[in-house]
Amino acid sequence: MNREFVFTGRERTFCFVLMGIGVLSMVLCFFGDDELQTRFWSNFLHNSVFFTGIAFMALFLYSAFITGWSGWHIVFKRVWEGIYLFLPVGLILMLIIAAGLWLDFHHLYEWNDTSALNPDKLHDQIILGKTGFLNKFWFTGGTILFVGIWYFIATRLRGLSVAEDNEERDPNFSKHRKMRIWAAAILPIGGFTSAFLIWQWVMSVDSAWYSTMFAWYAAASWLVSMLCLTAIFTAYLKGRGYLEQVSHEHLHDMGKYIFAFSIFWTYLWFSQFMLIWYANVGEETIYFRERMDSYPILFWANLAVNFALPFLVLMRNSTKRKYGSLLFIASVVFIGHWMDFFLMIKPGVRKTAEHLTHAAGDAHHGAASFMSGFTIPGFIDIGTMLGFLGLFIFVVFSNMSRASLYPANDPYLAESIHHHV
Amino acid sequence: MSGAPISPIRQPLVTGSKTYHQITEDLCGPTEKAPSKAWVIAFLISVAFLSLGIACILWTIWKGIGSWNLNRTIGWGWDITNFVWWIGIGHAGTLISAILLLFRQKWRTGVNRAAEAMTIFAVLCAALFPGIHVGRMWVVYFFFPYPNTRGPLWPNFNSPLLWDLFAISTYFTISLLFWYTGLVPDFATVRDRAKGFRRKLYNLLSFGWTGSAKHWQRWESLSLVLAGIATPLVLSVHTIVSFDFATSVIPGWHTTIFPPYFVAGAIFSGFAMVQTLMLITRKVLNLQDYITLEHIESMNKVILLTGTIVGVAYLTELFIAWYSGYVYEQFAFFNRAFGPYWWAYFGMMSCNLLIPQVFWWKKYRRSIVITFAMSIFVNIGMWFERFVIIATTLARDYLPSSWSWYVPTFVEVGIFLGTLGIFFTLYLIFTRVAPVVAIAEIKHILKSSGDQYASGHAEKHRTGQSLVVEDHHH
Repeated sequence: MNREFVFTGRERTFCFVLMGIGVLSMVLCFFGDDELQTRFWSNFLHNSVFFTGIAFMALFLYSAFITGWSGWHIVFKRVWEGIYLFLPVGLILMLIIAAGLWLDFHHLYEWNDTSALNPDKLHDQIILGKTGFLNKFWFTGGTILFVGIWYFIATRLRGLSVAEDNEERDPNFSKHRKMRIWAAAILPIGGFTSAFLIWQWVMSVDSAWYSTMFAWYAAASWLVSMLCLTAIFTAYLKGRGYLEQVSHEHLHDMGKYIFAFSIFWTYLWFSQFMLIWYANVGEETIYFRERMDSYPILFWANLAVNFALPFLVLMRNSTKRKYGSLLFIASVVFIGHWMDFFLMIKPGVRKTAEHLTHAAGDAHHGAASFMSGFTIPGFIDIGTMLGFLGLFIFVVFSNMSRASLYPANDPYLAESIHHHV
Repeated sequence: MSGAPISPIRQPLVTGSKTYHQITEDLCGPTEKAPSKAWVIAFLISVAFLSLGIACILWTIWKGIGSWNLNRTIGWGWDITNFVWWIGIGHAGTLISAILLLFRQKWRTGVNRAAEAMTIFAVLCAALFPGIHVGRMWVVYFFFPYPNTRGPLWPNFNSPLLWDLFAISTYFTISLLFWYTGLVPDFATVRDRAKGFRRKLYNLLSFGWTGSAKHWQRWESLSLVLAGIATPLVLSVHTIVSFDFATSVIPGWHTTIFPPYFVAGAIFSGFAMVQTLMLITRKVLNLQDYITLEHIESMNKVILLTGTIVGVAYLTELFIAWYSGYVYEQFAFFNRAFGPYWWAYFGMMSCNLLIPQVFWWKKYRRSIVITFAMSIFVNIGMWFERFVIIATTLARDYLPSSWSWYVPTFVEVGIFLGTLGIFFTLYLIFTRVAPVVAIAEIKHILKSSGDQYASGHAEKHRTGQSLVVEDHHH
């Protein structure tokens, strides 16, 4: 039985090649960029937020499953543990962004360049009114504290989970019962703090705009991306001869989760969009107006890839139970949600940069012109993403190689092995 | 899947080492005996309230909507508050039947029947309010979009109020079908024990069910299809109710988080009402072996979860109102918390967000007294939530000269009490004519979750590591 995952030289090389592509893309981007390095730093923010959020969501769903007494997922739970242990790396990435607020090496957030804000302009007045929350102290402090708490709880859960493997079978399942406490704790903590961080990290790039739904919307996008990666990693490990207990039954349920949460994401997308469209309040519609006028490809592709495709393809049972079709959907939807975050971040950052580089006052009329790396992702942005992906895989695989992939003493193990849909 | 292994960490869901026959006896029993004195008293009280409600509704129709205390500023008061409150309560049944089925939560079998019945009765009570609040109830068919000769009078398809009509009628239809489908095999069980006219009646109700393999096969396919339809419907109903408010530009109503937050609140209040009813029902009908502390604890966990989700939404709204920099939005929330109706906001926050946090302690989740008290708190809190959203918001509009204050008349209060009467009357009748716990479904999980079987699993698990192999063809 192949239970100890070995992170092979070939896999390491693969990760390093991806990271190499990433570094190359970032270097090229940095030297060909505008004076504010807008494209470079927006790519950095986009990918850091995306992968940190995926790690958080693995922790959140893992904890939700423990709290809900779920049994079926045990045979691949070590994949989730690997993913959520990316959190400290994510914290470092986000701290680089935070450092930029203090040292002014990026200009991603309009609210941070307070000297460029004109209190006589209504738009700027609104942003100045938010600086009690949108400031570098809260951004840095919130990031350190909240991601720190997530990581702390992640290490507790992982520690207990691995410790359970190495002990005599405990009829009281005391380790599992302790895990329940940590798992229950992260649910409300994660629920509140993730909203706080999404407002700071993502929503505030459009500093004047607001939507109460936004935090849940972005979180749903993270969740679907995480489910897609889980399916991909699990299938890969299976292909390498690990996780032999994982069967088509587990695959089927992963497919159901991708299907269901793609619909859930669409539900949140629609609710947010429709309510803003229907009420037609200028301060709110500007967000979608801009995206529909200047970023139409991404705007419509977002719905096609993240809703229509998984909805139509995963509707059938058979597509969820086959590696080929499930992996195809998981990969495309993963990229789809990466694009979703691209669309959440890039337009706002671009406007901030234009605001800072042009003389204040010349408001934009009509659609913004095509700009690679903003209107659609270019090679440099895709290369940067591959670099982050390489780093992510490297961290996740290193973590998975540190403990058995087979949680021998988990109380639900037998249920999971015999899982039948 | 009764053959698959069950984790020893799970608690049994049917206690008392029941046999199949005992289950039939226990669950059919209440429909076969004469009603108890308690039942008769409860029924009479319910019917009294129901009569009061009908009198007040007739008075409203006779006298006109002026018999309510609504005014030009506050156009919606108790009517729509009660409507949303009842619709919310009507969410638990289908959630338990459809969504918990998808998540394979076996504990749903103990409570799904009664919860579904409750759903149907609650939706009936809810549907009453849009009907009577138009004032001229005799032309209420104007709502319905069909070709007519009323000239330019045509329902406005752009209006969420019309979407609501469709959402609720669809939801009601599917919930009713789902509930009835589940009842068919159980009605047949009652029939098989009955004699004379009663036997004929239950035979009719069970569509001549014989329990053949073919019948079960069709029954399972139908249940699955209905569950599939019901799942998006549960989410859609309260989503569309929230659109009634959120599509407007009224500060405090127009907020994008409303759809999922209303759904979470609906589940929250629905589960609270299920707790209220089930705690009484299990005691009166002696169903403690079927609705165990495990069931109660699981439902309390759902209450804690959804209450906290609602709490996140409350605080999100409050925070974003400040963050938006939009003075009217800021005022709307300031008014909710510190305006003339501050007590409603305080009641909502404490009953829905703060007090349910006691369920973090296992001891309280498993306490009947605390659970019952909590279920009442949540019912009150969720009523306040709708009152805060509707009346508090409307009372302070853009012009201080039109600010107003609203107290319901006895007619409005009477109609609300009347819907409680309707609800409990129907529920009490239900407990007399149908098994309140789904017999067929309890029998289905007996071999995997009955205490005599579950403990067997645990023993085996404790004595050896080779459970995986041993239990395969158990």
